[in-house]
Amino acid sequence: MASDSSPAHFNNGPSSPDDSFSSPIANTSSPAHRRRRGRRQASTPSSAAATPPPNPSRFASSASTPTPARSTRRGRRPGPATSPSPAVAATPSSTDDFSMPSSEGGEDMEEATPTFVWGTNISVQDVKNAIQMFIKHFRDPQELSNDIYGEGKYTRLIHRVLEVEGEWIDVDAHDVFSYDSDLYNKMMRYPLEVLAIFDIVLMDIVSVINPLFDKHVQVRIHNLKSSTSMRNLNPSDIEKMVSLKGMVIRCSSIIPEIREAVFRCIVCGYHSEPVVVDRGRISEPTSCLKQECLAKNSMALVHNRCRFADKQIVRLQETPDEIPEGGTPHTVSLLMHDKLVDAGKPGDRVEVTGIYRAMSVRVGPTQRTVKSLFKARTYIDCLHIKKTDKSRMTAEDPMEVDKGSQRVDDDVQFDEDKVEELKELSKQPDIYERLTRSLAPNIWELDDVKKGLLCQLFGGNALKLLSGASFRGDINILLVGDPGTSKSQLLQYIHKLAPRGIYTSGRGSSAVGLTAYVAKDPETGETVLESGALVLSDRGICCIDEFDKMSDNARSMLHEVMEQQTVSIAKAGIIASLNARTSVLACANPSGSRYNPRLSVIDNIHLPPTLLSRFDLIYLILDKADEQTDRRLAKHIVSLHFEDTEIAEHDVIDLATLTAYVSYARKNIHPKLSDEAAEELTRGYVEMRKRGNFPGGSKKVITATPRQIESLIRLSEALARIRFSETVEMRDVTEAFRLLEVAMQQSATDHSTGTIDMDLITTGVSASERMRRESVLSATRNIIMDKLQLGGPSIRLLELLDEMKKQNSGTEIHLHDLRTAVATLASEGFVVLHGDSVKRM
Amino acid sequence: MGGPPYDFLANPLGAVRLTFEKAIGSESETPPTHPSAFNGKDWGALELFRHFLFQESGLSQVPILNPKTLRWVQPNSLVRYRGMIQDMLGNEFYAGAYKDGNLWRTNKFMDVSQYPMGSSPEMCIWERRLLYCVPVPGQSSWTEPSSEMEPNWSSQTREKRRRMDDEDDDPMDLGQGPCLLPLDAVPISGTCMMKMFLVKGMVPDDEIKSSPITKKMREDGLPSPSQSMDTKTTSSSSITSTFQSVDKDNLPCLVKIYDSPESELKLNDVIEFIGVLTFDSELAVEKDDNDELSNSFYDDALVHLPPNKVPRLHCLIHRKLAVQDFLPGSPIIEPKPHLVKETREALFRHLTAVLGNDEVAAHFVLLHLLSKVHARVDDVAVGKLSLNLTGLNKETVSVFGTRLIDTFKNLLPFTNCMPLTLEYLNAALLAPKKDYQANRLVPGVLQLPEGSHLMVDETRLESGSLNSTGIENTKLLKNLIEFQKVEYDFQYYKVEMTTDVQLLIFSEGKSNIVPADVIVPFQPSCLESTEMPVAEALEAWRWYLATVRSLPHSIGSEIQKVVEDDLVAARQTDRSLGSRDFSRWLTMARLISSSFGETSLSKEHWEMVKEMERLRRERLK
Repeated sequence: MASDSSPAHFNNGPSSPDDSFSSPIANTSSPAHRRRRGRRQASTPSSAAATPPPNPSRFASSASTPTPARSTRRGRRPGPATSPSPAVAATPSSTDDFSMPSSEGGEDMEEATPTFVWGTNISVQDVKNAIQMFIKHFRDPQELSNDIYGEGKYTRLIHRVLEVEGEWIDVDAHDVFSYDSDLYNKMMRYPLEVLAIFDIVLMDIVSVINPLFDKHVQVRIHNLKSSTSMRNLNPSDIEKMVSLKGMVIRCSSIIPEIREAVFRCIVCGYHSEPVVVDRGRISEPTSCLKQECLAKNSMALVHNRCRFADKQIVRLQETPDEIPEGGTPHTVSLLMHDKLVDAGKPGDRVEVTGIYRAMSVRVGPTQRTVKSLFKARTYIDCLHIKKTDKSRMTAEDPMEVDKGSQRVDDDVQFDEDKVEELKELSKQPDIYERLTRSLAPNIWELDDVKKGLLCQLFGGNALKLLSGASFRGDINILLVGDPGTSKSQLLQYIHKLAPRGIYTSGRGSSAVGLTAYVAKDPETGETVLESGALVLSDRGICCIDEFDKMSDNARSMLHEVMEQQTVSIAKAGIIASLNARTSVLACANPSGSRYNPRLSVIDNIHLPPTLLSRFDLIYLILDKADEQTDRRLAKHIVSLHFEDTEIAEHDVIDLATLTAYVSYARKNIHPKLSDEAAEELTRGYVEMRKRGNFPGGSKKVITATPRQIESLIRLSEALARIRFSETVEMRDVTEAFRLLEVAMQQSATDHSTGTIDMDLITTGVSASERMRRESVLSATRNIIMDKLQLGGPSIRLLELLDEMKKQNSGTEIHLHDLRTAVATLASEGFVVLHGDSVKRM
Repeated sequence: MGGPPYDFLANPLGAVRLTFEKAIGSESETPPTHPSAFNGKDWGALELFRHFLFQESGLSQVPILNPKTLRWVQPNSLVRYRGMIQDMLGNEFYAGAYKDGNLWRTNKFMDVSQYPMGSSPEMCIWERRLLYCVPVPGQSSWTEPSSEMEPNWSSQTREKRRRMDDEDDDPMDLGQGPCLLPLDAVPISGTCMMKMFLVKGMVPDDEIKSSPITKKMREDGLPSPSQSMDTKTTSSSSITSTFQSVDKDNLPCLVKIYDSPESELKLNDVIEFIGVLTFDSELAVEKDDNDELSNSFYDDALVHLPPNKVPRLHCLIHRKLAVQDFLPGSPIIEPKPHLVKETREALFRHLTAVLGNDEVAAHFVLLHLLSKVHARVDDVAVGKLSLNLTGLNKETVSVFGTRLIDTFKNLLPFTNCMPLTLEYLNAALLAPKKDYQANRLVPGVLQLPEGSHLMVDETRLESGSLNSTGIENTKLLKNLIEFQKVEYDFQYYKVEMTTDVQLLIFSEGKSNIVPADVIVPFQPSCLESTEMPVAEALEAWRWYLATVRSLPHSIGSEIQKVVEDDLVAARQTDRSLGSRDFSRWLTMARLISSSFGETSLSKEHWEMVKEMERLRRERLK
């Protein structure tokens, strides 16, 4: 660093911008170093004559002098307390520094006359006392009650650090604030000075506890009261403590930075004492220090005896949510030291606490007095780094059952205000309706569909029994409908809102694309698993458009996913089971492009019943030729085009709030069934089953299956979650029944009788249809018994049909019905079917 | 104006300095104002410039910075630059004011202080924003200011200019002038050698400075290219050679913005910046100074933007440019009904001729040219009307496609063309992508300013397989045409940016990769080439397109009723009609109405929409 131009400015007070501009080298040293340097210099002008040369650094003293010689600690006195006149440049040479090893004794402190942080009226002694008080007396409010006479939180922490020989103590800024807000403010404004004092106090305490402890303990502040956005950093923040959130985009390689150098005389082989870095420079001895030798220019650096510290430069970039419209993300450099090196990797979202610093850029040292370029490079001297959540909404699994690893306070994603706001929102009596309205507000009607989707977004609770059986909490929804009924828009909207999710189209998806596939790495030849859409949307929603156009093969893969929530792979030497805890939202078009109301759902959408039954809710979105709806559509579009003002969407929750609401609820609300609700569920289910038994009717219609009761539980849990309620109440269950019924009425109604028939979904054939088939079968059997002899001549199907029509004039019988019946008889071995002729055996 | 006479054009910094001194009151008896009061504020300098530029119409005298003018524009003089904000390089802190002895000095609007800063203890740090601007992609040649625009500031410079112009005209002297001339135009061997260096951009500044050739040139009394930095910056010398490696038709510019709210300047905006052009040779060597360590620290884009390639502009005043601002010299004409109708008629005839007498297609093309996104509701971009001309193959595209391209280039300010082939899709970088090595946003083809026109030629697309880039690219195109949004790739995440691009697609059948709003089977009836329209007509049409596009529009309640009834009736008869179709009709209605210069929809125009739609549907059958 040859451009070190003005050492004189090193210890200027923080309020002087000049300081920040004049230390191009300083950027390479740690905050600790800087602080130390300040301290040292401070002592010189005030009492240079009287005091021994200052102690070089916590690093130096700890490494080179294990013997704790009794000495003064004046050198540690907070530095900037003195005048920052350029005269300070005449600091004692660093070679002197290490010749006077010092202990951590701090008795001399009291002798000092009141000194002030330069440029302010902050008394160093006051700050020191305040910090001592804080460390000694601060107690966690939560544990205050049971342990008044115990040690303070940080005293205990210090003990613990000493036990594990740690190197730092994390200090929560909130604690500082709640104990002494004045100290907190001083720390924010003059972090360099206050932290230096903090370190001194800490070391004093450490040395009292364990005089032999030779490591240097630093203080690390984190969790500031307020964090700034990268965009708002401005010159007034320079030299202040700031806290930022962002994403690590680049890490430099680790840069070893020399802290102490050892020289050896190439003439006599004499090893010098370690030379400490001073202002970024090592002053190489010009001659051998050994009295007998004194050879000139003979000293050479001994690399392996020097001490180095790690340093790393990391670039932090704004996260997408902080970028204003029409802007690009800002970046800022971070300087990491020692233990902080490699604490963050590219792609991590982190919260960083540090000191915002600037250094000037001077071009061409030769011209510095003539023309100076005075742009400032800014960076943050990192004090503390904390990884925050990686995913965009909830990484924490809301539906995960095993909360074994109790996620602690760590990822506080929602600040308190926001949570308050959301809670306030949840208290509104019409929150359910409001949320429904806010979901895809430009798609109107379809309210029940939206309610179903809302339930899907919130989800139920997953359950894992000790036996290992698990019940999914995800709600699967299928939308079937005519083209042009905005199914796809709904899907897109949900995709946008969902915590995590993949949007895919059935036509373009293959089985492996959805689940996972095994690939060979072209370079290494290793087999690797690549996740497909369903695995990628684990804990999210997988939106599949054009479900009906999906290949059967791909669809069959969904069976496992939708009930077991895993994807199993067994190929190419890899046998794996991947989690795919995803809700599926699919939409399909009827096979005849338009829904035929005379046919059943199964006939309309050509999906295997096994798959259909795995959907909790199946909605038919039919385009009814209704003038009223058409008019609304027309009105809507006209207003869209001709009213320049935004279409009045009063009382609608915006997307951001909605997302926050959903993720908060998913994360923090885990409703349980109340007894009352459980009873209601049982009762309702029994009633649903009963509906299948028509009084006096012989046919048995199944109107509900155990799958439905699971769905009902999930739905009611989701409904409770919408209200931020921890218990599922009666009304949730009632609403869940209603939702299910609405969906079933649309999809599972047997059109010939008008009743709900779960068989339609489960087997694809309604009960009434089954009855009819049976009657045809018995009629056919009777006729064949009558007409045909065993082994006699055969009869043509058409003749048989005529005969049947004669006998059963009341009902209509089609040829294909007959054919089915005959085929059944043939399988029984009753007849033989040759082409069109039937022969009795 | 009671202030001292300022030379705004040649010495804008003088004006800045004088106003600063006045503002802090160093001359008056009143207690001086501390300069920190001016943090993020103007002290009255901009007022003067605004007055000079707009009231005294000084704007036209300010040279526009382009590769041509760069040859003779002086450093530290007032220039304008027109370009698109391609990337934002963040903020920069600088010592805004400092105390030099007893005097406060300011460094605002400059890179290098004019006075030695020494080690002044008192300093105010201010910030400025850095914007990386490039010429607008696909900018048509007519938007560039005519070459007659010459500066006529102080007489002395004018003299010099005249002389330089003369030299430029004289082929024999070409060698000494601009360095970007073709090599074969160089008579002297020595200069030739130097030029080769220059063209290759191999020689660093200092070498040129010391090279005997330059010395010789100086002795010849010709403007020495690199001497400027040795003498006072205000001296009248050329900075030609400093920008030696500037691309001939692509001059980016690093603009430094002072005290303007962030929301005013957005990515992809087309802006005219008026400010001080600075150049400092020391900055040029900055790069070499950096060792590996500091490089990783300042891996700022700046390192990759050496000042000899990218001029620096300290922006005093900026304004967003509309299409009208590119119309040369035309005062804002009131869109009189008859004038608009006449122009429309003429333009329509021209388009019909270009399109081989296909009137239906010409109608749609006209509406397409007028379309723009005027509102966004959720995901819907209201007002866009992308057009897909089908029935074209490779041969016909080469005829009509090129004709249309030429026509559009003459009519629209920014036109781009995209040959949609398999290789292109698999290889092209459509969305801008952040390069973290260089800390720059690498421009993509789809980084276009508002109001750009993009033609996509799908006729050459053959069947084959797409790689992941190709799939990504098709998705981008689809998103662009459906939502008018482009996702910028910041690698760790993507950022969606809204755009407003008119898309015209040529394809054989309906394009599914780029599904347009309107599909019109193209049926030309003659192949005759059209004659080039006269310049006045072109100008009128440009004016027409620019003006009509920005007309406001409304709908009366009566006609609204009619429209609604019609929509309902249409849907009752044909259930396949959906909101997309209705949206298209209404967009067309609005555009037809505007194309006649009217601001509210009339029954007649609505009938026209239905008729056009009928004709179009007939063709689709």
